[in-house]
Amino acid sequence: MARILIRFNEEQVAEPIASQIIIEYKVPMAILSAHINSKGGEILAEVPDDILEKVVNAFRQRGVSVTVPKLIEVDSDKCFSCGSCIALCPVEAISLAKDCSVEFDKEKCLGSTCSVCVDACPARAIKSIKQNNSDSANREKKR
Amino acid sequence: MSNPSKTRTVEEINQKIRKGDAQVLTAEEMKKLVESSGVEVAFKEVDVVTTGTFGAMCSSGAIVNLGHSDPPIKIEHAWMNDVEVCHPGAAVDLFIGATNMSEKQPYEYGGGHVIQDLVAGKEVELRATSYGTDCYPRTALKTIITKEDLNQFYLLNFRNCYQRYNCAVNSSDETIYTYMSKLLPRFRNATFSGAGELNPLMNDPDYETMGMGTRIFLGGGQGYIIGEGTQHSPKNLNGTLMVKGDAKKMSPEFLQGGAFTGYGTSMYVGLGVPIPILNEGLARKTAIQDKDILTDIVDYSVPRRDRPKFGQVSYKELKSGAITVNGKKVRVSSLSSLKMAKKVSQTLKSWIDEGSFFLTSPVERLPTTTVFKPMRQTEEIPFVYSVMHKAVTCTEDEEIQAIAKRIVTKSVNHIVVVDETGRLKGIVTSWDITRAMAEGKKALADIESHNVVTAKPDEPLEIASKRMAQHNISALPVIDIEKKVLGIVTSEDVSELLGR
Ligand code: SF4
Ligand code: SF4
Repeated sequence: MARILIRFNEEQVAEPIASQIIIEYKVPMAILSAHINSKGGEILAEVPDDILEKVVNAFRQRGVSVTVPKLIEVDSDKCFSCGSCIALCPVEAISLAKDCSVEFDKEKCLGSTCSVCVDACPARAIKSIKQNNSDSANREKKR
Repeated sequence: MSNPSKTRTVEEINQKIRKGDAQVLTAEEMKKLVESSGVEVAFKEVDVVTTGTFGAMCSSGAIVNLGHSDPPIKIEHAWMNDVEVCHPGAAVDLFIGATNMSEKQPYEYGGGHVIQDLVAGKEVELRATSYGTDCYPRTALKTIITKEDLNQFYLLNFRNCYQRYNCAVNSSDETIYTYMSKLLPRFRNATFSGAGELNPLMNDPDYETMGMGTRIFLGGGQGYIIGEGTQHSPKNLNGTLMVKGDAKKMSPEFLQGGAFTGYGTSMYVGLGVPIPILNEGLARKTAIQDKDILTDIVDYSVPRRDRPKFGQVSYKELKSGAITVNGKKVRVSSLSSLKMAKKVSQTLKSWIDEGSFFLTSPVERLPTTTVFKPMRQTEEIPFVYSVMHKAVTCTEDEEIQAIAKRIVTKSVNHIVVVDETGRLKGIVTSWDITRAMAEGKKALADIESHNVVTAKPDEPLEIASKRMAQHNISALPVIDIEKKVLGIVTSEDVSELLGR
């Protein structure tokens, strides 16, 4: 699953763009959070990796801005498994393995939209990378 | 008194190490053995127990000698990678303090990182200035050095290895950044430090085997305990160590710079002490478990020496990931690395097993009676309670007209809005009232601000004053834990007392 942040402007909010795309591509899209009013809004959603690119492009063709908030990156050479980040995570994406190594669950992590753990890492091992709108879906796929 | 079967000596253990048949267990393994087979068997079978800890130890540093430049300089100020280092000695001896921050990247890079870089063999830029003397004429210097260029490069940590440490929480409404890391508001997380049952001092709490001259694992190399650490407080199980070791032989894995947002930099130090099991008592003591080691839950949002406490927790609970504070479940995580602490104790064990590390008896044991005193202060500083005065209040159902009148008769600028029980609801200023009258508004609800910045009575006035400046306001209602309004402190009160 990949997370995408969809931003609607004032005109787009009036149209049922999201529902159209969900029906057209048969996307099992899970909405994680939505803040919408008549002036525009944001939806944070999860879509399966294999149709990520299609969905992102479909929104963009309709003029809707989509970002793929990248999951934060953890430099395992720098991380010394102190654990400072664990209890800060709102979705319990960070945990202590059996051998006391600290592990990040990329499936659970909210990515750069959250970043609560980033400035608490004494080893500066966690980076949140904000991607630009244009090529994020492609880059995501190559990885 | 000495019954030969009931004791063994460090020399006997070293003989065994030489022959390759010393029995060494990590503290973790020892606890299991004592639990399964009892103290007597454990004493018979085990010669040495290795301990370990890996945590941020701010009172650490390194002494370096640079050799003389030509023409020579008597260094007055010096920087390594833009971190100011101190010049405690004659001409070219410097002390790199772990918490000194880079002038270019404060909070991100500091003395601990300089030491780590040097230990790793990296090049470090050195700058120095001086006033010049007849014998040391040079006034400025810039060069690149590595550890190979230094005559001496010794880690010299004046307080390491706290026996145990507090568990930190934050009861306030704002996230705070402390040396106990990021603490989310309203008890949303807790942090702790220390290895608990693996901690060296916890495994020998009477310091039977430790003191000046005890050879230890330090930063991936061998070092020595050189005495009690500063703030050593053995009576309440807060012992500390002063240690020294040749940093040229250490490893950047076990000595790492640390960056604490909003606090500063530090150094993570790996430290392990081998405990010779000289008698059954030591076998029993090294069996101590996390459940038996308690520590206080301390509220770091109160910026005082004696911070409020919320009871005690064991390291077992702390390591479980959640504790209970005030009846509420709070997720907790460590600042020091348990994984690395284990690695320290395992590495030390392997050194002894392979005969590259021998034990020593201390020439003087760590003191057991030192008392850690608070600072003698000859000047009192003011607290909020010293200047706060009675607040002029109103309730939400009052008319603006009536409140305006009160502002005039009491000649104040702030009216605190309270409910029937005296709890804080909001605040209105004379400016809010003036505007409301001009705009013809009648209801207090339209103008009252609910997002009130407050003060606590026992906060230092300086901190309350900073908060006013930060929020660009001129008064703070003073409230207690239940939000009952106790009074108000204004910027005039502050300037009267602090003269600003
Ligand atoms: S970015 Fe947020 S969700 Fe992701 S690991 Fe860090 S705290 Fe958890
Ligand atoms: S805070 Fe940083 S160093 Fe510590 S466990 Fe998390 S990622 Fe690793």
